[in-house]
Amino acid sequence: MKIFDLMLKIDRRIIYLVLAVVVILPLVIPSAQHVRVMPPVEKLFTAVDTIHSDKVLMIDFDYDPQTQPELEPMALAILRHAFNKRIKVLGLSLYVQPLGLAKSAFDQVISEYNSTAKTYEDSIIYGRDYVFLGWQPPPLVPILGMGESITNVYKKDYYGNQTDTLPLMKKIKNYNQVELLISISSGDPPLWWVGYAQNRFGLKVGVGCTAVSASDYYPYLQTGQFSGLMVGMKGAAEYEELVESRLNIYKRRKASEALPSLTYAHLVMMAFIIIGNIGYFIKRRQK
Amino acid sequence: MNISLDPWVWISALLSLAIFSFLYKDNPFYKFAEHVFVGAANGYAVTFYWHNILVPSLFDPLFRQGKLLYIISLIIGVLYFTRFIPKISWLVRIPIGITIGYYTGASIPAGIQANIIKQIQGTILTKENFLAWHAGNAGIIWSIILFIGVLCTLSYFYFSKEHKGVLKVTSRIGIIFIMIGFGAAFGYTVMARVSLLIGRLQFLLGPWLGIIK
Repeated sequence: MKIFDLMLKIDRRIIYLVLAVVVILPLVIPSAQHVRVMPPVEKLFTAVDTIHSDKVLMIDFDYDPQTQPELEPMALAILRHAFNKRIKVLGLSLYVQPLGLAKSAFDQVISEYNSTAKTYEDSIIYGRDYVFLGWQPPPLVPILGMGESITNVYKKDYYGNQTDTLPLMKKIKNYNQVELLISISSGDPPLWWVGYAQNRFGLKVGVGCTAVSASDYYPYLQTGQFSGLMVGMKGAAEYEELVESRLNIYKRRKASEALPSLTYAHLVMMAFIIIGNIGYFIKRRQK
Repeated sequence: MNISLDPWVWISALLSLAIFSFLYKDNPFYKFAEHVFVGAANGYAVTFYWHNILVPSLFDPLFRQGKLLYIISLIIGVLYFTRFIPKISWLVRIPIGITIGYYTGASIPAGIQANIIKQIQGTILTKENFLAWHAGNAGIIWSIILFIGVLCTLSYFYFSKEHKGVLKVTSRIGIIFIMIGFGAAFGYTVMARVSLLIGRLQFLLGPWLGIIK
């Protein structure tokens, strides 16, 4: 039967074409999709929300251009949350490539806040409200070294300032002053933070990861080693939802906008898998 | 529609399209974009390492500030290049040995604690573990399923005894759990790849063509 042969041998270019159409259409013609917030993201939101005023939030930006679409919306949502609650932030990267993207995320959120700030106190000021430590290789060295002294590991920040001269860094010595670290990462860094900083220094670790890493990371959430987990674009959309609904911050929600495309793409993939399997079973029976 | 006039946006867009062209078939546009990417990434990394690591952390202290102890690091680092001289290439084992020794020593205790001890604790049937599932009374059920799943999966990987009798039953159940794991991993992989496609299309339709905001 010719039709069953076709079902088994659909040209991959047809699959790509159908996929492109179902991804592009919802982007061009946006439709509202309800974002249901799941407990792992809720947990992470609560962990950020309850950071004490004398402690800081540390964010490890470890995403590169390849994984930017999934992870950048997470970084923006967390920064909006932190600065809205006036939580002090320390940023860093364990790799070289994410540095520019991390700086861009800081710049975007800070310009959003400072464009509406009326006084100096209302504004987000570098050195007072946040510090971008930059990069120090190899990753193990800063992770272990910051348990003793952050300014010893990062003698200069990303902009070349002497870190021990910055007002915020005068109050922060090591992990004792860091209430939560969030690793926004496309690789293994969350496990390094748990292995080296949490086991040894008791640092709480939250994670924003790509969807590929999700099945590896869920066990660490269940054991309590992660204080919260955001997975892929869906996780980012959930955090965006919380930032909007709980904090009334209405900014562009890039991850939420992408959800309809993601849903339809999954449905198309499922349809092709079912078609292929039907063709396979019928052909096998015919033999 | 509001097409961008920024040359950098155009370069990004054309390179993205060149990479996408591989979906049709391998072609010179794809190869060109691939080579540009590899070259740019390596060039960026080499200059970054030189200006941000080697100069401030090694050459400045050693040659400008006279901290002679740093010469040990320099010599060990240089030994990596002996790989290219066949007669003394065995010397490369020294820096490799130091690196492996350091990383293995640091990672074994951390790995055992984070990946084995804590994970075993997470499998034990305690009230805290039931609550970790955020499923109310169903948390008990999920914890029991997890407990059975871990034991059965481990039994599948027990190859010292033939899979007969009880071991046959548990290993078969283990396979089901492994398959569920693979299914979840595949689903998440699809989600990740489609997300990346969406990100690129958001760029092409947004900043480049101005069709979406």
